[in-house]
Amino acid sequence: MTANVQLLILGLTLGGVYALMASGLTLVFGVMHIVNLAHAVFIFLGAYLTYFAFTEAGIDPFLSLLVTMPIMFGLGVLLYRLLFPRLEGSHRFVQATVLLTFSLALTIEGTLAFLFTGIFRTTTPSYATDAIIAGPYYVPAAQLYASLVSLLLLGLLGMFLSFTRTGYAIRATMQNRTAAQIVGVNVRRTSGIAFGVGLALAGASGALVSFLFTFFPSGHWQWIALLLSLIVLGGLGSLRGALVGAFALAVVSVFVADWFGSTWQPMTFFLALFLILLVRPQGLFGQPLEAR
Amino acid sequence: MTRAETPLPDVATAPDTRPAWWRDPRTVGLAALVAVLLLIPLGRPLIGPYNYTLHVMLVTFMWIAIASSWNIIGGYAGYISLGHGVFFAVGGYVSGMLLVYYGISPFVTAPLAGAVASVAGLLVGLISLRTRGPAFIISTIALLLMVRLWFDNWDFIGASNGLSLPLPPLSREWLKVPFYYAMLLAAAGAVYLSYRIRHSKFGLGLRAIASDEVRAEVAGIDVRRYKIMAFAASAFFVAVVGAFWGYSLSYLRPTVFLTIAVAAEMVLMVIIGGRGTVAGPVVGAALLVALNEASVAWFGGTELNIVVVGGLMIIVLLFFPEGIVGTLRDRGRLPRTLDWG
Repeated sequence: MTANVQLLILGLTLGGVYALMASGLTLVFGVMHIVNLAHAVFIFLGAYLTYFAFTEAGIDPFLSLLVTMPIMFGLGVLLYRLLFPRLEGSHRFVQATVLLTFSLALTIEGTLAFLFTGIFRTTTPSYATDAIIAGPYYVPAAQLYASLVSLLLLGLLGMFLSFTRTGYAIRATMQNRTAAQIVGVNVRRTSGIAFGVGLALAGASGALVSFLFTFFPSGHWQWIALLLSLIVLGGLGSLRGALVGAFALAVVSVFVADWFGSTWQPMTFFLALFLILLVRPQGLFGQPLEAR
Repeated sequence: MTRAETPLPDVATAPDTRPAWWRDPRTVGLAALVAVLLLIPLGRPLIGPYNYTLHVMLVTFMWIAIASSWNIIGGYAGYISLGHGVFFAVGGYVSGMLLVYYGISPFVTAPLAGAVASVAGLLVGLISLRTRGPAFIISTIALLLMVRLWFDNWDFIGASNGLSLPLPPLSREWLKVPFYYAMLLAAAGAVYLSYRIRHSKFGLGLRAIASDEVRAEVAGIDVRRYKIMAFAASAFFVAVVGAFWGYSLSYLRPTVFLTIAVAAEMVLMVIIGGRGTVAGPVVGAALLVALNEASVAWFGGTELNIVVVGGLMIIVLLFFPEGIVGTLRDRGRLPRTLDWG
């Protein structure tokens, strides 16, 4: 019993971070119907920024969030303007954008590998190995802080979407792109902002990933598969779904790791993905997927 | 003598008695090409060994087979699969294991490996192709990583260390020759399959699915069966060349077959050449193999290679989404030799 509660604690503290990592991905899909296969490589980009801020200037990962997020937001808006409007009229928009983000992921991965080599890296702030002891249980401090920061950022995201004009515009675009355009939303500008927000969230997750996990240029494919399985479970484009999916699969994966060994932990996500497609292809909170 | 005085050849009076195929420059060209390709390895006693040339050519044939097969699901039906590395691996491992345990040559078992991969494709397709659009692509990435994780930890097939295979009993100079012919045959088979599908009711159905799946369904096409059949058909020759490739390397390792880079290569070849055309994947494969060889020669095959692959793909997607063959065809400049439909 104690062991299971302990595993549950570990799973839940992991879930918050997964939710933050997946939120940008699902937001971008919701607004633009772009499956951003480069999302995880952007997370890694954030992780590298955080890593060098920490090793070169001694800036704490949580503090560097304040810099990483605006940088990634700017990069996102820029990339969107450069790449995506050109594809908007294309009758195979989904395929075209998936291939585009796939190529983007390869390009960034190769650049990272060229600049920083394939070395496994991780930042080591003092709390990275601390644990908080509560009775018979322990909570890894870094994971707890990271999860709390994730939930804080997700809360801010929720408020941004619910209470600001830009937030309204983003949600309107998510619900119905054409209708949003008719009522006067500048859909292209809104999409650019949403893509920027998605990347800013990736940058923030990167800061957390930098001390929670080791990272290396080609490691992002594992993460994108994991994150995609979370948002497919929740329903593509649903933020609430991403949150539920993240916590659910994080907890399950921790138990799988305990039962079968940590080698098989990633298998949880891949199998879950196939199971969801088999049983309920639209996910928990999603609308049925249509070809667009 | 002025031009006007030149007697014109009397064309009309001599009826052309040549058979139809002999009059078509495409079939004549094709026959000549096949003859040249068949004769190339036999020139060895005359000009000495040229293993490098044979190697580059057999690699080109391999990618032609892979790209043409991928095009059946990715081009005709418009369903992007990033998981075809799995079928490549199935081919390599099925034939490799039969060689190691029963001593049967992969040249014999390659069709069997292809059949196994097609059945695997059928089963995976039953699940993956329940969805339309993005979820399918996601499931193929998951499939690739799942099989990778499984193979990396399955001791029976050597796990991540892989397996060594015995090479065929041939001297070093002749070693490439059987692989050359095997890959050539596979490439010809894959292109023929692709051509036959393109010019069939099945191919028409797939193209209808690519352009509008809902309308295709309304028009009475059994969309789901078509997609699954296309997925299974596209797996066959990928596995066949996988069998030859593993044998020619003399070892099997998950990193050879089950990487995103392999998927990226085949996608890029088809996109550069022209999605949904018969000649496109052939052109794209030849071009990309040449480019890879050049990049290895100039930059020494580093991480920059995938930057080039990714960057090129972005440029083609943004500016020439129909690829070389598609763009030329749209502008009416496609040479007849490449106009295979």
